[in-house]
Amino acid sequence: MPLVAVKGLGKRFAGRDAVRAVTLTVRSGEIVGLVGANGGGKTTTLRMLAGLLHPDRGTGTVMGAPIAAIRTRARRQIGYMGQRTALYPELSVAETLRFHAAVHGVPSASARTAEVIESYGLGPVVATRCATLSGGWARRVQFAATVLARPKLLLLDEPTAGLDVATRRDLWNWMQKLAADGCGIVISTHDLAEAERCPAILLFHGGAAHPQTTPAAVAASVGAASLEAAVLQIADGGMA
Amino acid sequence: MSGARRIGAVAWLELLRLFRSRIAITLLLVVPALQVLLFGYAIRPTEGAITVAIAASAPADAAAVARSLDRTPHLQLVRRDGKPGTAEAAVRAHQALVGIELPERASFANPTAGIHPARIIVDTSNAVLTAGTVPAIEAAYWRALAEREGVADTGPGYRIEQLYNPDARADWTFLPALIGVTMMISMIMLGTLSLAREREAGTWEALLSLPLSSAEILIGKLAPYVVIGSAQGGLVLAVGIGLFGLPARGDVAALILLLPLFAGAHLALGVAIAARAATQLAALQGAVAFYLPAMLLSGFLYPFETLPRWAQALGQIFPLTHFIRAARGVLLRGDGGRVVALEAWPILAFLAVALGVALLAQRRRLS
Repeated sequence: MPLVAVKGLGKRFAGRDAVRAVTLTVRSGEIVGLVGANGGGKTTTLRMLAGLLHPDRGTGTVMGAPIAAIRTRARRQIGYMGQRTALYPELSVAETLRFHAAVHGVPSASARTAEVIESYGLGPVVATRCATLSGGWARRVQFAATVLARPKLLLLDEPTAGLDVATRRDLWNWMQKLAADGCGIVISTHDLAEAERCPAILLFHGGAAHPQTTPAAVAASVGAASLEAAVLQIADGGMA
Repeated sequence: MSGARRIGAVAWLELLRLFRSRIAITLLLVVPALQVLLFGYAIRPTEGAITVAIAASAPADAAAVARSLDRTPHLQLVRRDGKPGTAEAAVRAHQALVGIELPERASFANPTAGIHPARIIVDTSNAVLTAGTVPAIEAAYWRALAEREGVADTGPGYRIEQLYNPDARADWTFLPALIGVTMMISMIMLGTLSLAREREAGTWEALLSLPLSSAEILIGKLAPYVVIGSAQGGLVLAVGIGLFGLPARGDVAALILLLPLFAGAHLALGVAIAARAATQLAALQGAVAFYLPAMLLSGFLYPFETLPRWAQALGQIFPLTHFIRAARGVLLRGDGGRVVALEAWPILAFLAVALGVALLAQRRRLS
């Protein structure tokens, strides 16, 4: 059974379609990219998948729960990382990880926290207050907290935006390792080089999405040589 | 069990944030300390000295009136030997609050003089300050008249017994209410800030994405503040009894049991306000818009009984109104748990509504 199987997902804000007719399937071990310009509907789609927004239209399930009623049980298996860095500035990195372990009821929490600190190289900042972390470190800590409870589905909203090359590389390595271990990942990005690293993508334009396919198939569908050329062609001429 | 664990995790998070936040510590410690100092030692709305100037053409008349007024508390003679017109001039020049212009005595040369009444000129620009002045001067007048006519000791007399606060101490009036006021302000502000800060920092979205129900988030966030707010109220109560000698004649334990209920009602309200506000500033404005009328209509600053009926009806909505009744009842009148329980019901109803609104607002998640 797919981790995510939704069809015709739609959301309106102030009488305007923010997202319309999104159909998406994510299986275990799969990385799906939500690709498109800012304001295209990627964040709204991720928030609906995380149960943070109720869709106005559409059906389907996320981790077995109906998309319109994603409750605590389903959220235990979902790791969501929003676009903004969202760490409590008053807490240290260790306290942040302990909080996430406690909320998820992670068994052997101390051992798992130590493992995450080791895996994601957080040793140098473990006692540092989150308020004083640099953008790159904050993102690493947030990623570690998100995956600490070993979610089966990861929803990542532009996780690499504004990061240096090394942190970006590390994040992609970690995501690919998690996917290899069976975690399904949905990642939003407007970086087309990153989009091409996703085996499957959903191309967003003006709130609507192309059918889920590979980056190469998107390019081929409009006769473009690359994904970048295809996206520009679609942006200039509307939906293909 | 797992629900309790999750609530505990949120409560632990909230406690860490609270003790590391300068704003929160200021709200919890500095604001109540300032209020206790001000209302305990400085604010005396009914005990101010009323300055009086007397003017008469005959110095003996002025001296006689001065002797009568000397026995009246809170009246302070600043001038007693002025020529006619100078007492009124002193009031208009803001040198005295009351001016007494005595009429000229009748004489062979001026036989119609003396049939005019004395004029008493009162500066009522601060009506609260001078409200008791006219009755005090009238009482002094009638007492002097009775003594002159020799009727002072002819009746059975009377004895006034002032119950509960025999010296009419202003600090005893304010301090029971102040327990509620300090808690109300701190709890609304902390409830409001707790949520508003999360939303502005972006952590609210992350918190909502965790496997926590709306009720678990709300209870976890509010529980530490309920304990701390109750401790704060208990501290002001202890200061009132220990430092200011509040008699605490009634069921103090029942009053202490009311503290968590009262704290919870205002915390839930703070969260409900913040859930509906777009920014931290808007949330704080909403908090102030609630607690200012509460202070005015609850009997804290003005006697509840003097409010018009519609204002009294409005005042019944505020938990502070009921808390003040219970606190004055227990600490001054010696009321028992039954009276406290009667005042607890409206606070409980307010808590239930505020919690419901806060929960509904959270259920909307980010919509």
